[in-house]
Amino acid sequence: MSDVLIQRLTKRHGEVTVLHGIDLDVPRGEFLTLLGPSGCGKSTTLFALAGLDKPSGGHIAVGGRTFYDGEDGTFVAPEERNLGLVFQSYALWPHMTVAKNLAFPLTLRKVPKAEQRSRIAEALELVDLGDYADRFPHELSGGQQQRVALARTLVFRPSLLLLDEPLSNLDAKLRIKSRALLKSLQRQLGLTTLYVTHDQEEALAMSDRIAVMEKGRIVQIDRPEAIYNRPATRFVADFVGAGNFLPVRASRGRQGEIVEARLDHGEVLRAVRSAATGSDTQGFMTVRPQYLRLAPAGSAVAAGNNRLDGMIEERTFLGVRNGYAIRVGDHLVTAESEDRFETGPVTLAFRPEDTLLLDH
Amino acid sequence: MNAPAFPSGNTTAPSGTMAAPSGTNRQLTLAIGIQWLTAIATLVLVLAPLGPILWQSLLDRPLYQPNAVLSFDNFARLLSDAGFLRAVATSFELAFAATAIACATGVGLALFLERTDLPARGAFRLFALAPMYMSQLVNAFAWYLIYGPAGYLTLFGEMLVGVPPWDMYGIGGMAIVAGTSMTPLVYLFCSSSARMADATLEDAARSVGAGPLRVLWSVSLPLMRPSIIYAALLVFIGTLETLAVPLVFGRPVGLESFTTFLFSRGLGAITPDYGLVGAAAVLLLVLVAVLLAVQSVLLKGAGRFVTVRGKAQRPRRIALGALRRPVATVFWVYFVLTLMLPLLAIIARSFTTFLTPLLSPLKVLTTDNYALVLGHPAYLRSITNSVIVASVGALVATLGIAVIALVAKRSAFRFAKGLEYLAMFPRAMPGIVAGIGFFWAMLLLPFAHWLQGTIWILMIAFAMRGIPTAYGAIAAALVQVGTELDQSARSVGAGWWKTCTAIVLPLIRPALFSAFTLLFLGFLKEYASAVFLYAPGSEIIGTTMLSLWSNGDTGAVAALSVIQIAITGVFVSLAHFVTRTNRDV
Ligand SMILES: Nc1ncnc2c1ncn2[C@@H]1O[C@H](COP(=O)(O)OP(=O)(O)OP(=O)(O)O)[C@@H](O)[C@H]1O
Ligand SMILES: [Mg+2]
Repeated sequence: MSDVLIQRLTKRHGEVTVLHGIDLDVPRGEFLTLLGPSGCGKSTTLFALAGLDKPSGGHIAVGGRTFYDGEDGTFVAPEERNLGLVFQSYALWPHMTVAKNLAFPLTLRKVPKAEQRSRIAEALELVDLGDYADRFPHELSGGQQQRVALARTLVFRPSLLLLDEPLSNLDAKLRIKSRALLKSLQRQLGLTTLYVTHDQEEALAMSDRIAVMEKGRIVQIDRPEAIYNRPATRFVADFVGAGNFLPVRASRGRQGEIVEARLDHGEVLRAVRSAATGSDTQGFMTVRPQYLRLAPAGSAVAAGNNRLDGMIEERTFLGVRNGYAIRVGDHLVTAESEDRFETGPVTLAFRPEDTLLLDH
Repeated sequence: MNAPAFPSGNTTAPSGTMAAPSGTNRQLTLAIGIQWLTAIATLVLVLAPLGPILWQSLLDRPLYQPNAVLSFDNFARLLSDAGFLRAVATSFELAFAATAIACATGVGLALFLERTDLPARGAFRLFALAPMYMSQLVNAFAWYLIYGPAGYLTLFGEMLVGVPPWDMYGIGGMAIVAGTSMTPLVYLFCSSSARMADATLEDAARSVGAGPLRVLWSVSLPLMRPSIIYAALLVFIGTLETLAVPLVFGRPVGLESFTTFLFSRGLGAITPDYGLVGAAAVLLLVLVAVLLAVQSVLLKGAGRFVTVRGKAQRPRRIALGALRRPVATVFWVYFVLTLMLPLLAIIARSFTTFLTPLLSPLKVLTTDNYALVLGHPAYLRSITNSVIVASVGALVATLGIAVIALVAKRSAFRFAKGLEYLAMFPRAMPGIVAGIGFFWAMLLLPFAHWLQGTIWILMIAFAMRGIPTAYGAIAAALVQVGTELDQSARSVGAGWWKTCTAIVLPLIRPALFSAFTLLFLGFLKEYASAVFLYAPGSEIIGTTMLSLWSNGDTGAVAALSVIQIAITGVFVSLAHFVTRTNRDV
């Protein structure tokens, strides 16, 4: 059952096109994250959904109701959409106490005073701020403000929860704590949630699915493990922390199939195709540093595994592990190992399942 | 794809979904209605005086007469009218001279009060800004009482040297009165730029051997150049627009200015020459508009000169050393001559039967002037009218202009940008031109005649003139309120208008209050646009003073002036008290 449906959503600012046709289909109860670098259009997408930014074309529907349609000119005002939006800056109204901030959406919905009080208490309890009702926003810490902002959107029971980098103004420790709170709340309430962030770790930890955006397009949408292990493009791979991109020529194959790939200086390796493609293509091979096993130069490699010979140029002490910069042909490959190797020749072994073939 | 449907309602947590607030459609209609209404009202308000003037300038007979023919005849007649050309020349001479005087004194004040360790800076600052609170009319009368042909000091000088030591009638005298009364404008602009100046530049000059005056002249002054040019244009425009000074110090010796020309041709003549007045008004309007355009171009460039540092620094002051006392003395003399003596004269005159050095004022003490003013219903009414116009008018205008600012700055209204230009346009309309325009509008518009001779038309005219000032104050504050504060209100279900009233307006209360203060003081002082609009029953202090003055009733004029100053004083202290005690406002 699809709860949020976005089709061919575009947004232009004069000559600049910010969104090039976004398609999204979010089932009820799902936690979907829009992940991408700064300026890729995440907020624009979210604000278009909330009605705070008027798109240039496309279609938006939530719970079966059309909110926007570029063709017939439908545009539902933000106040009619009943969506809960949490802003990066929290946007608490500075002239109202915490309780007044929470009461405002309820008053707009003509909720009786007595019920308002119990709802506000409930919502504040939910975010662990029961005793802070009479404080003004400036009397709260950043983390508390963030929770008030969350309570303010939950208190009127929106049909959708939209979060625009809600944790980015918190310090690292608090961010991890808030992440857990947010996730458990979302589970508890079963709220369909769209979450915007540029932090891959946050996205991987919280989401049911992640949509990775690049320059106004969704380039991959999948479960976190798939995004992490099977990035579809070099951009996605790069964004979720993969490294060691080596240019290769690969033969055709289906997605998920293990195929042969030829490095530019001749070695043939076996790698998983991340996406189905046509004939012989120029692409990239990538393997995460922790998947590379180091062995003394010339060691035998288990059957079926990939092998590369190189020269250790530099070793960096990382604590438990050592980091290595290894020259393979014209390329520098980074690897990590608990074992200690000195600079000089070395053999690298890695499994085809850990090696990924990317088109671009 | 995996779509975990998390069970809900297993806790006490709020579950399920509420509907969006009801009546959102009504909210939408309300928002669009308010936005259009605001834009149309503003357009009508600005065009009401402008349209009739433009129209009349092209008609061969008064605009209320039928069968008029369109032509440029009026302009041709005007440009061949020797009296008009002389008046324009006089206005320009006056404007140049007054600008020079205001810039010299204003810049001097800014430099010494903000960049040096001059003693008594606090008091000087107060004196420097004081003339801003005073009506030009009161200021001109006050100067007349002390430096005019029969002025107290003039007669005193005559007693000493046998002949009058000076003659305030003429360009020179007018320039001194206008220039000193506009000094605060220059001081205000230059002092803020002086405060932000980088003190290390001055220190560098000191370290290479420049004396304190040399540093001020060669380093501090050039740094203020953009502010000076900007303020100079303001003063120039202000002098072109002023009616009081040429009325008091020019007309008695037959010296007409642009504004007195409009005044006497439009009002003084038995059969006013509508076409000529219309054409002259259009020319003045165009002139001011061009000067404003020049100014805004200069202001754009001026931003680049600003030497503000992100790092907050308290500018060090130049030590004047041995010059401290002499410079302070010069300042004291200046303020005594231009501010205190005129004020003292008008207060003294209001309590005496006449003021002359030949008689001790104590011998001619009287309260008759006040008795006359307060006892005569028409005079008394002018005081109450002034207070009503200033308080009610300023309140309503503040609210209306706040809505204009909200629509222009905080709405999706299609013509928001156009509305902003419209709001700034009245800057180009001198008071006397606005007065003529509204007067004609009442003749022309069928439903407007019931406004004639009421204080409502005065409020409308004053409000129109006040839009740019109040708009500036409110819009500046609006920019400071982050847009996510209204976006979040919209997303929780508030319509545009609800967001404005519940979130945005409460947050800019201080700016609304200062806009109200500015408008109140402006309305209280305004007279130029009222002279064409008032009628028995709707007199205000300014118009009553003018008619008493032309009757030679100096004592009553002085009493009214003192009353106006007292009202201003009470209001300013109240406003000060409110801002002091209520940080929120
Ligand atoms: N008014 C505008 N005119 C032109 N371009 C704009 C305008 N507003 C936004 N953009 C552009 O739209 C793009 C997307 O903006 P958006 O705010 O959606 O980015 P984002 O992905 O949320 O980035 P961030 O992580 O920095 O918040 C940006 O490249 C931005 O420069
Ligand atoms: Mg963003």
